Order: sequence, then C-alpha cells, then structure tokens
Amino acid sequence: MGAAYETIYFKADACDGCNECMSACARAKAQSDDQLQSRIQIVPSGEGFELALCRQCGDPECVLNCPAGALAKNAGSGVIAWDGSKCVNCLLCTVGCAYGGIAYDAQAGHVIKCDMCAGDPACVKVCTTGALKHVKTARIYNEVGNLEDLFAPGLSGCQGCNTELIMRHTLRRIGPDVVVATPPGCIPGMGSVGYNGLTGTKVPVFHPLLTNTASMLAGVRRHYKRMGRDVMAVALAGDGGTADVGFQSLSGAAERGEEILYICVDNEGYMNTGMQRSGCTPYGAWTSTTPVGERAHGKTQDAKNLPLLMVMHNCAYVATASTAFMQDLYDKLERAIEAAKTGFAYLHIYSPCTTGWRFPSDQNIEVARKAVETNFVLLWEFNPRDGLQLTHPAENAKPIDEYLEVLGKYRHLDPDQVEHIERTLANNLARIRGFAAAKGTASAEAGRG
Amino acid sequence: MSAVLAPKPAKAESKLVVCDGNEAAAWAVSLANVDMVAVYPITPQSSLVEYLAKFIADGRLGAEIVDVEGEHSVLSVLQGACLAGARTYTASCGPGLAFMFEPYLRTPGMRLPLVMTIVTRDTLTPQSVWGGHQDAMSVREVGWVQMYCESVQEVLDTTIMAYKIAEHHDVMLPVNICHDGNYLSFGAARCELPDQAEVNAFLGEKDVNWHVALDPQRPMAVDPLTGGAGGPGPSAFVRYRKGQCSGMQNSLKVITDMHEEWGRRFGRSHAPLIESYRMDGADYAIVTIGSMTGAAKDAVDAARARGEKVGLVKVKTYRPFPAEALASALAQVKAFGVVDRSVSFGWNCGPLFQDAITAMQCAPTRIPAMSFIGGLAGADLTVTHFERVIGRTKELARDGRPAATVWLNEKD
Repeated sequence: MGAAYETIYFKADACDGCNECMSACARAKAQSDDQLQSRIQIVPSGEGFELALCRQCGDPECVLNCPAGALAKNAGSGVIAWDGSKCVNCLLCTVGCAYGGIAYDAQAGHVIKCDMCAGDPACVKVCTTGALKHVKTARIYNEVGNLEDLFAPGLSGCQGCNTELIMRHTLRRIGPDVVVATPPGCIPGMGSVGYNGLTGTKVPVFHPLLTNTASMLAGVRRHYKRMGRDVMAVALAGDGGTADVGFQSLSGAAERGEEILYICVDNEGYMNTGMQRSGCTPYGAWTSTTPVGERAHGKTQDAKNLPLLMVMHNCAYVATASTAFMQDLYDKLERAIEAAKTGFAYLHIYSPCTTGWRFPSDQNIEVARKAVETNFVLLWEFNPRDGLQLTHPAENAKPIDEYLEVLGKYRHLDPDQVEHIERTLANNLARIRGFAAAKGTASAEAGRG
Repeated sequence: MSAVLAPKPAKAESKLVVCDGNEAAAWAVSLANVDMVAVYPITPQSSLVEYLAKFIADGRLGAEIVDVEGEHSVLSVLQGACLAGARTYTASCGPGLAFMFEPYLRTPGMRLPLVMTIVTRDTLTPQSVWGGHQDAMSVREVGWVQMYCESVQEVLDTTIMAYKIAEHHDVMLPVNICHDGNYLSFGAARCELPDQAEVNAFLGEKDVNWHVALDPQRPMAVDPLTGGAGGPGPSAFVRYRKGQCSGMQNSLKVITDMHEEWGRRFGRSHAPLIESYRMDGADYAIVTIGSMTGAAKDAVDAARARGEKVGLVKVKTYRPFPAEALASALAQVKAFGVVDRSVSFGWNCGPLFQDAITAMQCAPTRIPAMSFIGGLAGADLTVTHFERVIGRTKELARDGRPAATVWLNEKD
C-alpha cells in the first residue's frame, strides 16, 4: 500500500476570520508581522472564508512544472520542500497550483509555501475555533495498512455500523497471537464466531456466555502465562453484557488485575436483539422496552457510567474513545494493549447505532463526532500513576440540541427532558473534572505492577 | 463401613494419613497434577478449598489458584483454562451450584473434561447449610458424569480416577464426584495416599483440548451458532447432541475399566457402577447411594444374622445411570426399597427411586418397589432407620402392595 501523510484540515464554517493563523505563520517563518508573508492565507469568500494553503499533493503539479528541480516531495514526511539554492524564480510552480499553495513573496523575493513546521504547525496551535486541525491519522494508515485484516471480509453488520471498523482496527493492531471473546450481541451477530462450523475470524474466537466474558478470558490468559506463552486475551463486548448481566465477572476480573484487554462497544442498549434498554441507555431514550406513548416518554433513569466504575477498580488502564476521533482512539488502543500485559485494561468505545438510534446510515461518524462536541460523550483516559485526564477539550461545547435532534430515539423529548439531560451532562463533566483535578493524590501509586 | 471390596496390603510407597473427605479430595487434586483451580468458598465445601490453597502455598501442588468473586466465574475461568489446555478442578455445592448453573449447563456441550466435587448440600429453601443430595440431584439431567462416594478413601481414589475418565477420548465429558456434606466432608478416617509416581503412570499425559481449543497455533471458532430451521444447522446440532449422549454411554465402560485398573495398580478396589452387598440368595433388597451405605450395610449384616434374606445394592455411578447393572442385580428379588437423600418434586418420591423403577423395565416381571426419603438437611440416617426400611421392604416382598413414599426423619 502507498503511504499517507499528516495534513492540515480546514473547517470553513468554524472560521471566524480572526487571521491569527496568518500572523503566527508569518512570525514563525519570516519573523515578520506582515500577514502577506504567511504561508497560509485565509480569504473572505461570500459570507465565509476560504483557504489558500499547500495541500502537499500526492501528484503535485508544482513539482512537475518546476524546470530547476527546486521542488521535491519528501517520501517520508510527504512535505513538498522548496530549495532556494536551485530555484530560478520562474514562478511556473504558482501557475500549476490550483490551491494557492505556493505564491510569490515580494519581500522575500521568491516563492514561499507551507513546510508543516516539522510536524507541529504554528497556525493550528493558535486557532481557537477549531477551524484548523492537524490531522495525524495518516500514521494509522501507514502503520496498519499493511497488517493483515484478521476478520473475514463481508461481516454482516448493519449498514453504516462502526463496530466492524473497531473490530478490524483492533485486531490488525494486536496481531494473531490472541484469543478473542465476543459475547452474545452485535459482534457475534455479524458473524465473528461464524455459523455452523464456519468462522468469521482468522484467530481463535469464541462465544462466552453473556455473563462470563472476563472470567473465561482470565482462565485462557492465566494458563498461557503459566505455560510461558504470550497470548493476549481480548474481549469485544457490548454494553449490555458488560454493564448489566456480565458486570460481576468483569468487576471480579478487574479487581484481581487479570491481564485482559476488555473493549466495550457501547451502543447504549441491546441493539442486536431488537433494541431493548440496558444500564447504558441514556435518560429519555426510546428503546423497545422504554417505548414512547401517552404515559411513557422513553427511559426514566440515567445511564450507568461504566468507564468511571472501572476507574474505581483501579485498573491498569481505562479510557473512553470514539470512532470520530481515530487518532485519539488509536493512541488509547496502544496504551491499552500495553497495559493489558500486566493488568486489566478497559476501553469504552461509543458506537452510534444507525438501526436502533434511528438515523441515516451514512451519518455514523458525524453522530459520533457530535456526541463528543456536545459533551454527551467525554473522552478521557486513566491510569493509576497519572490519574484521570480529559483527552478532548470539554470547553466550548456545542448545544446539546445539535446532538439530540439528529437521533430518532430522542425525537419525542419535551423541554423538561432536555433540561434533565443537560443537567446530567453538567454533572458528568463536573465529576470527571473532579477526578482529573484529583490526579496524583487519591489514585497515585495504588496501581498494580 | 467401607466400600473397599477386596482389601490388599498397601504398597510400600503409599502413605497413611487420617483425614476427612474434604482433605482427601484436596490430596487427590494434588496427586493429579492439576494446572488450575478456581475457588469460591461455601459450606460445607470451604475447608476443601482451604486445603487446596494451603497445598499450593506450601508448594505441594504446583497449580494456579484463582480466587474468584463467585461460583459462576469459578466454572467460567476453568472453561477458559481448559480450552487453553489446562487440567482443572473445583468444588461447590447447594446455592453455589445453583449460581454456577449457566456455565455448568454448557460444560458438557463443549465436551470439556472438567472435574468438580459436589460436597452435597440440601438446597434452599427452607434455609439450611447441611448435607443432602438435592443440589447434585437437581443437575442430574445436564450431562455431567456423576459418581457418589461412600468413604473418605473412595473420595480420594475416585477423584483421581475422575480425570482419567473425563479425559478419555471416548468420553470427553465433565465429571462430578459427589461426597456427602457433613458426613464425608468432615468425617475423618484412615486414608491411604497413593504413590505420586504410580498416579502419574496411571493418569498418563494430559490431553484435554485436542478436540476443541482456543490456541493461536491452531485457530478455530469455538461454539459457533448452529440450529434453526433449514440449512445445515439442525443436523449439526443433532450430531453434537448425539455425540454428547454417546460420550455419556461410553463412560459406563470407561468407568468400569478405570476402576479395574485402579484396583490392579493400587491394590484397592471400588465397585465402579453399582455394588452388590450380600445379595446372594436375597429375597428382597434395599438400594442406597452415598455415605448412608455404611449404616445400611450394618443393618443388613444384623438382619442377615437374624436370618433375614436381605441384600443391598449401592449406586455409585448415578449419571450415566447403570440401568442394566441395576436391573441385573435386582432381577431375582421379590421387592426392593430405595433410600434417597433428596426428593423429586412432582413425583412425590426420591429421584434414585424413579431411576431404579425405570431401569427395572428391563426385568422380565414387575418387581414391587417403594421410595424412602431420609437424611435431608444433615439428618442422620442410622442403623435404626435402615431396620425400618428393611422391615417395610420385607412386608412389601410378602404382600406386593407398595405404600406411598416413607419420610424417614419426619418424627426424629
């Protein structure tokens, strides 16, 4: 597979035209306050703004046009570098670029372009609106693109479900020395353990009971360890089997520090069996067992905060993650894999359910993103040494309506219910911040080695 | 008071100890070189797992011990370990057995050769912590092999044999050794510990997951979905079920062979399926199970001394039920009485009684039989109780008219 590279992503509707990015670039690259010397240019366009910036193209016209060999794409970083010692100032490069990514700087007397600041772009650092982002997911593609996909092609998940994404990425990263438990739910439902003697997985996989995933894995891992074999024990489980009927075995295994990577794919209910409520179903949500009628308006209790419960077990690692933030998910997956070599690692990944939450199947990642941007879902991680910390800023959260209104399961909500949800989210955030502030005190040095 | 049929001098390598049934079971586990034990304490099993923990702490048993948060996880941990290739052990009873029912139910279907002692205890409710067979009898139809012991020595010997039976390729099923709560769990007796090298030679190499495994070196999906209407599902399911039934029936011969080999190697023999005691020329018989048999044999001896033509048949292997052996042993009597330490709800009799009369369908003529229930919730079954059983069964042999179930401890 070819290589992918880091990039600077521009979200036009988030840009307020403050031009701080241009100032920062000019200062960093030309020690100047003149925004004309910035490699990034924000240009008013109608009501909003457009971006003029080098895209570090895969098949760059500027490089093709250059007669002097002054422009070259670096195969390692992907950055198109300009070499002043070779440049003949013909400006043919600027003619070739459709993005305004390379332009003549009159003060400098030659063309200028973005060099990505060696992987730490100055412009992104000063952008407070989120219009500019440094997207580093290229690393994921480069690192796992050539690793074997350990699930069979064509698993039968619902259209638009992100669980298949989670499964494939996780196993690619872990590799073949693994035993995978997939308790009853969507994950075996989409064929991971197979039917009638056929399997959907290229590594050892099994159905535990809905109730005993963590216990069975503990037995597997312990025996291999005893035999001197390094075989990883991984659970890919739903929220029902994790938070409800499987919680006792989960809690026991976490308390004992069993060396397991337990991934809970939280779609907020028993979606595989027809969308019944679980302990992870949020307040107000419609499910088939918390229906909406004249006298009932969805679930009347808040969701159980399962990842926080796992923090209270002082696991080697606990984190929440979202498939809308893959770089963050990947970083956490790596830390969880490492932690599971010596203790219990718990990863809670939110999985919007196109079928059960009632939204269009092409909107999964967007729904996941909105959940995080509205603070409905908080992204954080914990280990006993460093305590808990938020990994995605919770300030400037968007109004909760932006999340609720895209989901059919919340269509019936009245203002009181929305207010309840807002209160719950505020409490959740305050609690998580409390844990984050307490890091280094209560939980420090209490972990298992 | 002993199930030993033909005592021979102990071999020089053996060691004599005085211990109770719980300790004897722990000794057996130690001698069987088990890889992993998972435990959760419950009366009257607790001292058994304490002995195991101590043996492991002292380095006598090189197994991994997992102290889990409940019986459900006990069996689940062991299933995982077994699928990874471990020889395993646990013990439970009563409410603990009820709690582990979900993985218990699944173990024989996965054909995992787990070995588990049930230190039998009556089930709730009424609230009770004492012995009775209701726990083990309540799971009799699930597909585990069940053997009931009479003495401390038989507990030790049977527990070691259980591994060879469970792991036999013709069987591949989990095995319960049932020993009576209170009477065997805490009753101390002389017990001979077999030589380790001899036990090793008897058990051979362990081979527990050749047929189903969770092993990256031979990846497979364990327990994929089968059944449903149409396609290959239903027939696959039927083949699994039939295979399980075959394993169960095969175990009758394997159990017999293992007991025979045990006798040859260790100079101590126990009846494998049933034991016929003073059945020569018996006009009528009583049928027993478990530790009550000792007092029952004393009562039979006393009755024989008085000239009564009574014999006794003890059932050791309860699942699979030794129907042919029992029918053959009782073929010549005019009546028999069956003593249970548990009840079969809905039939108003004991479960062993039910099985016995079902087995007697093989007999050429109908033989009158009666159900006696005693020893519930730790109640003592004494020689006096068995004299009553013998007397009532004698009456039955005379008039051929069975009465309703007799509750032995009702007026104690």
